[in-house]
Amino acid sequence: MEYPVQSGFRQRKIQPEVRMRGAPVDPGDPRLLFDDTSAGGIGHRQALLSDPVSNLAMVYGSSLASHGREMMDQNLDRFIPISKLKYYFAVDTVYVGKKLGLLVFPYMHDNWEVSYQQDTPVAPRFDINAPDLYIPVMGFITYILVAGLALGTQNRFSPEILGIQASSALVWLIIEVLAVLLSLYLVTVNTDLTTIDLVAFSGYKYVGMIVGVIAGLLFGRMGYHLSLLWCCVSIFVFTIRTLRLKILSEAAAEGRLVRGAKNQLRMYLTMAIAAAQPVFMYWLTFHLVR
Amino acid sequence: MSGFDNTDFFQSSYSVDDQNQGGYGYSDPNDPYSKQYEYSQPMGYSAPPGMMQPQQPYMGQIYQPTPAFTPVSPQSMYGSSFEDEPPLLEELGINFDHIWQKTLTVLHPLKAADGSIMNETDLAGPMVFCLAFGATLLLTGKIQFGYVYGISAIGCLGMYCLLNLMSMTGVSFGCVASVLGYCLLPMITLSSFGVLFSLQGMLGMILTATIIGWCSFSASKIFISALAMDGQQLLVAYPCALLYGVFALISVF
Repeated sequence: MEYPVQSGFRQRKIQPEVRMRGAPVDPGDPRLLFDDTSAGGIGHRQALLSDPVSNLAMVYGSSLASHGREMMDQNLDRFIPISKLKYYFAVDTVYVGKKLGLLVFPYMHDNWEVSYQQDTPVAPRFDINAPDLYIPVMGFITYILVAGLALGTQNRFSPEILGIQASSALVWLIIEVLAVLLSLYLVTVNTDLTTIDLVAFSGYKYVGMIVGVIAGLLFGRMGYHLSLLWCCVSIFVFTIRTLRLKILSEAAAEGRLVRGAKNQLRMYLTMAIAAAQPVFMYWLTFHLVR
Repeated sequence: MSGFDNTDFFQSSYSVDDQNQGGYGYSDPNDPYSKQYEYSQPMGYSAPPGMMQPQQPYMGQIYQPTPAFTPVSPQSMYGSSFEDEPPLLEELGINFDHIWQKTLTVLHPLKAADGSIMNETDLAGPMVFCLAFGATLLLTGKIQFGYVYGISAIGCLGMYCLLNLMSMTGVSFGCVASVLGYCLLPMITLSSFGVLFSLQGMLGMILTATIIGWCSFSASKIFISALAMDGQQLLVAYPCALLYGVFALISVF
């Protein structure tokens, strides 16, 4: 590497009129053919644009960007509590495997209570009954891709269809969560179910939907109907057993018959939420399998 | 990591400095030479105590591009500072040797990954791979550079959010983009197969499934070694598999 050659090559990139930018160049330096505004500098502080105003502008711009980012982080934290969300993603492979098995076959499981540790729920990694958001989010995305695949095999695919499927599924999810929240409010249930918990529980049905659609792709309409029926019943049982502990009072949750309007109302509410799941599952998948 | 303060170009928020497998010897954050900018002392690179192998003469400086507006020492004349200027590639921060090392990590999915390779965010390699992928698609007649870039952008954003939520330490977006870009390499072999024969038969399906598995396995392996997530490899591999599955869809159909 010969530096004089290189310096000549580099110098060719610089036009003479950049001299206007105010770089004080030593006119007596014989090695300079043209003005040098490269980062090497002439010895004093040379900003990239060799101009205090541009330098100031660049510093201001970068500080504005970092300020904007801070503001965005703060505001984002107000709407979406990131630390709370992190709890729902603290999962590991064993938990996900067991939970998926539970969603498809909830009949053998005995203890549905969520364990607590000094008033805070234990992370999903350590308690299979705790809700998580990994399965619903992955289920939603997989559902959209499988829907695209199913439509593709029927030659009804276009990229817009994916967007339509995604947005309609999302809207139905939002409607369902809002309806559950409203009914919980009307029945005045004292429960520690948060909105994110409800989103998680509503998102568990995507697993059954995916199983149904894939069975429909592999085995035709009969496979679709059979597997969807199985998954609907499983989700119904799963939802009832999970929500029973959260919504009903202690006594009724243990299975003892407790008469009273309040408990009956809560029981009906739980059954209604659980019954809504198969309805949505069928509604969102029947047009995918022909 | 104090040596990286004045460069907001390659910013990464973590380092793994206790792994030193087989010649990888990446920069030790305690290394005093990563702060300095000494080119007149080539001996300086072989001096640090055993952490660095001397076969890469500019290892300590590669991911620190010339700080453009920090003051050069006032006494240096124009001539000496120009001769001391680093070569262009190094100034840009492109180190072909590092790119090659990372490529080898992707190509050997069963070999354990070194967490420290993600210390520097290198987007030059992924850019090359994306362009190569688009070029091989072009050879089959599909002009879909737009889809490739769009899907990679959305996929990187999604993985960035997911990994930030799932890991204890966070990740930077550049790191996610870099890893996902490197692991696109096997997908390039898939699309080049697609040039030679159609991928829609049974053999093509098996090949596609293998390649998707390979890509997502490598990506998840690098992520969990860099972020120290235990017991979550399959959980990270699944979204990667979804992303690479979409790329495969573009190649096949």
